[in-house]
Amino acid sequence: MKKRMSKVAKKEARVAFAFILLPIIGFCIFTIGAMIFSFKYSFENYNIFTGESKFVGWKNYSDLFKNVLYSASFKNSIKNTVVLLLSIPLSMGMGLLAAVFVKSGKVKGGKFFQVLYYIPVVSSAVAMNIVWRYIFNNEFGIINLLIGEKIAWLSDDTLIKVAIIAKNSLNGIGTAMILYLAAMLNIPKDYYEAAEIDGASKVRQFFKITLPLITPITFYQLITGLIGGFQSYADSQVFGAGVQGAQTIVYFIWQRGINQSRYGLASAASILLALAIMIITMIQFKMSDKWVYEE
Amino acid sequence: MKKQYLNEPSPAKRVWSIVAKVLIYVFLISIALILVFPYVWMLLTSFKDDYEAMSLTLTLFPKKWIFSNYEEIWSIVPFLSGVWNTIKVEVSVIAIGTFVSALAAFAFAKLHLPARNFWLLFLMSGMMVPYAALMMPQYRAFYELKMTDTLLPLILPGLFGNISMMFFFIQYMKGIPNAIIEAAKIDGAGYMRIFLTIMLPMTKTAIAAQVIFWFTGIWNDYFAPAIYLKDQTKMTLQPMMAFINSNNSGGTNLPLIMAGAVLSSLPMLIIYSTCQKFFVESMAISGVKG
Repeated sequence: MKKRMSKVAKKEARVAFAFILLPIIGFCIFTIGAMIFSFKYSFENYNIFTGESKFVGWKNYSDLFKNVLYSASFKNSIKNTVVLLLSIPLSMGMGLLAAVFVKSGKVKGGKFFQVLYYIPVVSSAVAMNIVWRYIFNNEFGIINLLIGEKIAWLSDDTLIKVAIIAKNSLNGIGTAMILYLAAMLNIPKDYYEAAEIDGASKVRQFFKITLPLITPITFYQLITGLIGGFQSYADSQVFGAGVQGAQTIVYFIWQRGINQSRYGLASAASILLALAIMIITMIQFKMSDKWVYEE
Repeated sequence: MKKQYLNEPSPAKRVWSIVAKVLIYVFLISIALILVFPYVWMLLTSFKDDYEAMSLTLTLFPKKWIFSNYEEIWSIVPFLSGVWNTIKVEVSVIAIGTFVSALAAFAFAKLHLPARNFWLLFLMSGMMVPYAALMMPQYRAFYELKMTDTLLPLILPGLFGNISMMFFFIQYMKGIPNAIIEAAKIDGAGYMRIFLTIMLPMTKTAIAAQVIFWFTGIWNDYFAPAIYLKDQTKMTLQPMMAFINSNNSGGTNLPLIMAGAVLSSLPMLIIYSTCQKFFVESMAISGVKG
């Protein structure tokens, strides 16, 4: 094969390359090109009034952590983003429970629940956040009316995170359940039959067979959840209406970069975010063959 | 002594089994109710008047059904142009982007492509770059080109295809036998012709599933449209919804906002209820294979 390509093969190679050319061009412009500029901006200071950029070295990066004007809100956005990640294990736990219940064959309508639980995923985040905001409203929200107390869900820095976590963990159940059900279908039936003959209880079977065998999917969800969670924005903007307690990293980048034209500072933050996400993806690559069961 | 069969459960076990069943139903049904509640609440509130929607006594159903919110929403914001703008983005991006993705997938899956794995990894590496890290330069470039407040920043990137869609097509096309393509080549068919007359028809289920997926994604897209579109008449649906909402953060006109939310979610709910098989299955496939 390494020798010389035949005329036909050469022609085919040329055509094949032409066919993949558009995605490659798009990628070079909108991803690589943009990434390079983000990197460049992160070392520059952009003057809003003159429209000029000046090289400032690592200043934007150190400003993020040290400058009194930005460091508090940047650190706050990191903290919020990380705390809000709590909804991931919660939806995974509830989704797993739902999947096990449906799989146990004790209930009818497994398909029905599956379809219903997935609805929030296909719904618009904006519309859903608007409705949830109304449900959690401090004054006339249905939750406060039911409790009979005026709890400041939407304005308190801690409570708004509780509200977002509650909302997101419920909305994530469908995805987790579907993925777990699919993973469980791949477990060979004879494992359970053998365990049954040995007299292992259902609970024991779950911990000794099901749980270890679905670790790849658990891991997959954890990683995709982390990557998605790191990029959360609508929760801050629409549900939180920009209050401090709900500002995420991407909200910080949007606010400084797009809203206030501090491109340098926002780019530095976005480069750090990209790095964090790349590291998580690398960890996924490295770890997936270690603590994850594979055949 | 009565002989007991191996599979016959003891009474205690049977009681336990019934209790377990009840508990499972309670768990599953209560989650279902909680998840459906926002939609019900949104719908019911859209038929209330302002005063009732914000009243401090809880009423589930409107005391008096009001339908005027659904008339007003069209005049208070250019809701119709929001729908129309969204459809413009949907149609141009999906028609061209899907074609480009499928064509590239054909080259990756079925043609002799030197350095195939390199190019595939090259393209897929972009999937781990967060949009937030690309947003500023893209925004500045589109701003310099005077394209903000037009739909072009939302359309142009999509015309170059969608990598995750392409990857899905590659997996699917690998399952199509090579013999069919070889036979067509012998008959003298060109590559584009093979793609159009053989590959596209044979991938149509995969295409349908992915198009529905992408359609939903664009319909619900909020971040990019919110950055580029400030003029109400240029907005797509989601930023328009957010705009109506933030203009009413005090809660006035709440039923009107809910009417807008109902209208903007309705198309997705209809698509989902008719095509839910696609959604659930492609979701499951992406996870299990990924």
